[in-house]
Amino acid sequence: MEWFWPEGALTLVMIGTFVFGAFALKLPIAVAMSLAAVAGALAAGEGFPLRHLVEGTFGYLDTILIIASAMIFMKSLERIGLLEGLAAWLIRRFRNFPLLLSFGLMGLIMFPGMITGSSTAAVLTSGALVSPVLIRLGVPPLKTAAAVAMGAIYGMIAPPVNLPAMIIGGGIDMPYVGFAVPLLICTVPLAAVTALMLLFPSLRRGGQDLPALEAELERMERRPLTFRRFFPLLLLVVLLSGEQFFPQFWPPLGMPLDFLLAAGAALFSGERWNPWETACDAVRDALPVMGILMGVGMFIQIMTLTGVRGFVVVSALAIPAAALYVSIALSLPLFGAVSAFGAASVLGVPFLLALLGRNEILVASALSLIAGLGDLMPPTALAGIFAAQVVGESNYFRVLRFCVVPGILTAAWGVAIIAGAKALAAVLY
Amino acid sequence: MFKKLSGTPLSALVLVLLSGVVALVTGKSFSAMHTLDPLVPAPGFERHMLSEWFAPLRDTPGDTPVYIQRGSEPGGTVLVMGGTHPNEPAGTLTAVVLLERARINRGRLIVIPFANRSAFTCNDPQEGAPQSFSLRCADGSFRVFRYGSRATNPVDQWPDPDVYLHPQSGQQLSGRERSNLNRAHPGTPQGPLTLQVAYALRRLLQEEKVDLAFDLHEASPEYPVVNAVVAHERAQELAAMVAMELEGLSIAIRIEPSPKNLRGLTHREWGDATETLAVLMETANPSQGRLRGRTDEALVLSGRDKCYARAMELGRLFINYSGDQTLDLRVARHTAAVKSFLENLGLLYPEKTVVMEEVPGFEELLARGVGAFLSPLSRDHGSR
Repeated sequence: MEWFWPEGALTLVMIGTFVFGAFALKLPIAVAMSLAAVAGALAAGEGFPLRHLVEGTFGYLDTILIIASAMIFMKSLERIGLLEGLAAWLIRRFRNFPLLLSFGLMGLIMFPGMITGSSTAAVLTSGALVSPVLIRLGVPPLKTAAAVAMGAIYGMIAPPVNLPAMIIGGGIDMPYVGFAVPLLICTVPLAAVTALMLLFPSLRRGGQDLPALEAELERMERRPLTFRRFFPLLLLVVLLSGEQFFPQFWPPLGMPLDFLLAAGAALFSGERWNPWETACDAVRDALPVMGILMGVGMFIQIMTLTGVRGFVVVSALAIPAAALYVSIALSLPLFGAVSAFGAASVLGVPFLLALLGRNEILVASALSLIAGLGDLMPPTALAGIFAAQVVGESNYFRVLRFCVVPGILTAAWGVAIIAGAKALAAVLY
Repeated sequence: MFKKLSGTPLSALVLVLLSGVVALVTGKSFSAMHTLDPLVPAPGFERHMLSEWFAPLRDTPGDTPVYIQRGSEPGGTVLVMGGTHPNEPAGTLTAVVLLERARINRGRLIVIPFANRSAFTCNDPQEGAPQSFSLRCADGSFRVFRYGSRATNPVDQWPDPDVYLHPQSGQQLSGRERSNLNRAHPGTPQGPLTLQVAYALRRLLQEEKVDLAFDLHEASPEYPVVNAVVAHERAQELAAMVAMELEGLSIAIRIEPSPKNLRGLTHREWGDATETLAVLMETANPSQGRLRGRTDEALVLSGRDKCYARAMELGRLFINYSGDQTLDLRVARHTAAVKSFLENLGLLYPEKTVVMEEVPGFEELLARGVGAFLSPLSRDHGSR
């Protein structure tokens, strides 16, 4: 009881307030999170901690800017017809090679995440690009969204850029060197299995009404794929890659500006579209998620202030050694409900410290993989929410249902790599 | 009624006004952190600014006070730097105690209490840290010090890239480490503020021919390098002598070699880029750890935390945590180690001797507390 009081009770107050606000009062998630933070602070005797509430939101300032700008970029591609045209070209070219198409499209979904380290960037760029292709080729929208969400997470974890691994390594002063092969081992098999599970069966079966498909393709090809139409996408690839691969020479523009510049390039596509209306549309779509992130920022700040965070972390570490793997597999993704990066920092580092003596690079890679699953966890569920959005599904929980099996496989694969880190290191090094 | 108001110009106006009020109230609280903590240097200290060694820093948020005291006899030069990470207060306070107490009879002492001045002006988001803490002086008055961030204030350096490449080695780190002064050494004359501050420090070490340089830190109790001295290979012998002496005083301290493949840190870069004997020291600070419970001023001062006590039972810590880890103890450890280094520097290199007096010892600091060795502020004390 001494351990539980008062932090355990405060945990219940905060979670209870959130659940009551979100489900009983049907408040927006962002508002329910903020109320939970305020309730936690009041119950802990901190009064109305305005400074803490504001400070907490700043933890997500960069993420919010990336989301807003990436959404504007995606909407601009929609406006100039690039997404439809490119989807039509891919369908004509590869529809008779379902296996190749499954793996190829999964790789394409992953690519922006690999370059930027952000699952959101992957979902909103390549995810938005391949979703119409998959749906038109007979993959159900919910499975499509699930494949996009999982692919984006694997992209975020795959090399060369894996921010959770950098965060975990930074916690024990381990440089981000030598991670490429372990991260490929963590992600490539899972991406292949997920493609086979979610995409390949539907693509092989086909099932599409050919005359209707042909008519649809012709409609999609109405606007030809010219270089000018491709220019925004190419510019984005150049801007993102340049910063990652030539940082010595490249100006550090940052991802939000990269997205905005690429969106601006769409003005020169030859297509007439209204940038103001597009930007408003994009921000309106992204607003609920940006609000959730601000609410979560307040929630974490108050968790830390009141001791709830320490209570949760040490409780997770207190699980007997035999159950440590189960604890890792459950607590890392669950804590990721507030942020995958937060889970990597707050839980990933203590877990790595608890596992010292194995191969730290392999263990950190696997922990980052499991932490990445946090992007599927409500209420933030960035990968899930945006994947649902790109396929036009309003209830992202329906998408998450199809992520359960790949998610469990991911956690199991991560734990297997941790358990076998010594043996694997003997083979690799 | 709420549905009627939702999405109307009136609701927009109300929200904008509310946002303005929130920005005003919290902005006042945040901007208060830009005021430098008042200091009362001991007689003999001259106040300089870091920009004297690298002019482009002048009037930037990276420019920071540098105090120098010369002894009457020639000898070596020692630099004591605190405040690389303002969320590690024992480093800053040890520098402040030396600044306010030390009398140098031989050689020179250079003290930089707020190495990353910009990082003192904010807190890390989502860490719930207090903005300041106070210490009771011998006369019953209080001295207040800011508890800042590990990183340069984003207002002064933003945005950070996704991946930070250490300029000299090309080593990759998480992008936010670009704002971490202890990943920026030996610095560059161009580039972001943090790298420029590191460059200015390198220039100071070179131009002042610093023989021995300390970078004072704190670490989480669950971090392997804690209650430790990390020494460049040229400083290893000296560090070993100090560790033996401290062990004799029952102050357990580990010696860690400076890793060659971890770049950007003082103990590696100062040692490689200058002639100085570079030393970084860590004490155990529960208020910065990931396992900590309630985060407040009391935790900063006492280090008493039930989550750490539980973590100790679970065998997760790298210190012998017996329920607390007071700021007095942490400053006492650093101070005792600095004094021992100075004594042994003279034994190993007589021409580099620095004789320092009036600085309290380990037992004195533990018995009377750090506040007792800080000078009370008179009314006219601004930022000196």
